[in-house]
Amino acid sequence: MTFRGAAVLVGVASLLAGLVIPVGSTQQVSGPVKVIQVTGLAGVKDKAKGTLNVENGRLRFHGKASSEVSAASIQDVVTGADSQRAVGGTIGMMSMAAPYGGGRVLSLFRTKIDILTVLYRDADGGLHGAIFTMPVGTADVIKKQLVAQGAHATATGDSTPATTSSTSPSKEQKQ
Amino acid sequence: MKRILDAGIKLSLFTLIFSASPLLAQNNKAAKIKAAALQVDMIESDEIKLPAEFQVALYENLIRQLEKNGFSHVYRDGDRNAASAADLVVLHSTVRGFKAGSERARQVTTVSGATSITVHCQFTSPDGTSLLEQDVIGKVRFFGGNLKATYDFAKRAARVANENFSTPGRE
Repeated sequence: MTFRGAAVLVGVASLLAGLVIPVGSTQQVSGPVKVIQVTGLAGVKDKAKGTLNVENGRLRFHGKASSEVSAASIQDVVTGADSQRAVGGTIGMMSMAAPYGGGRVLSLFRTKIDILTVLYRDADGGLHGAIFTMPVGTADVIKKQLVAQGAHATATGDSTPATTSSTSPSKEQKQ
Repeated sequence: MKRILDAGIKLSLFTLIFSASPLLAQNNKAAKIKAAALQVDMIESDEIKLPAEFQVALYENLIRQLEKNGFSHVYRDGDRNAASAADLVVLHSTVRGFKAGSERARQVTTVSGATSITVHCQFTSPDGTSLLEQDVIGKVRFFGGNLKATYDFAKRAARVANENFSTPGRE
């Protein structure tokens, strides 16, 4: 009887654990995703914060300035992975001056991010490239949405990280 | 008295020689190539595996820096308007070397983890005749993310273009 009770308890605990513990790689994206536009989007300043979403065949960035790109004009979409300092910006910079290497210790704490790179052509045929950073697990979802709405991608469904340069120094490649 | 005169003559001769040498050097300096418009091709990295974001950042920063350096007509890869531009110079860039580095290593150790990109820049006429070829290196040694190396490259490449090409209204 006690064995049966314990088995039930373990079963219930497993069920609850499954509900509570999120699975990072299958993060669902509903609605706009918070992103940082690193560079390249026409009419938007570098490192601008905003939201990104795909609707009606267009990739839309909303921030202080807004911009949108037609999915049909997108030549390639590439996802990658990187990491950034957990404590960044001015505070991160000031912490470098902390005594006994305190700032350097802070540099060890990093958060993983996704990178979305989009190549598209303007009305004159000119090639543009835009880079976005966003929370882990969201770049792939946006890529799939873009491809579903007419964007081209050279490696569809492939989510191999383009780089993990910040976490592991790689050997120099020379011709 | 005679000694003072001699010294004066020698001094004036030295002054003349040293002041004239920069002028002579300027005359010997190669004339700038005329480039009314510049077209930037997408960065190629067939032999070196370069992350897509680096490739795009190199391209976008290069265009921005060329515009900042006074090139009024900078066309992007595939821009149809470039076909009708007079004195067009096309810039082909090929990645020759890439060291990813590590931002974390830079911040923790200061001396290691540098990121560097070596790009072979070839300026050609629209028919493909080479006008200038040069390797340009972009680096980030101490502060900033790895993509900052692309900004460093763009600044250096724009300087090369500025030193070798002249556009109307900017000499």
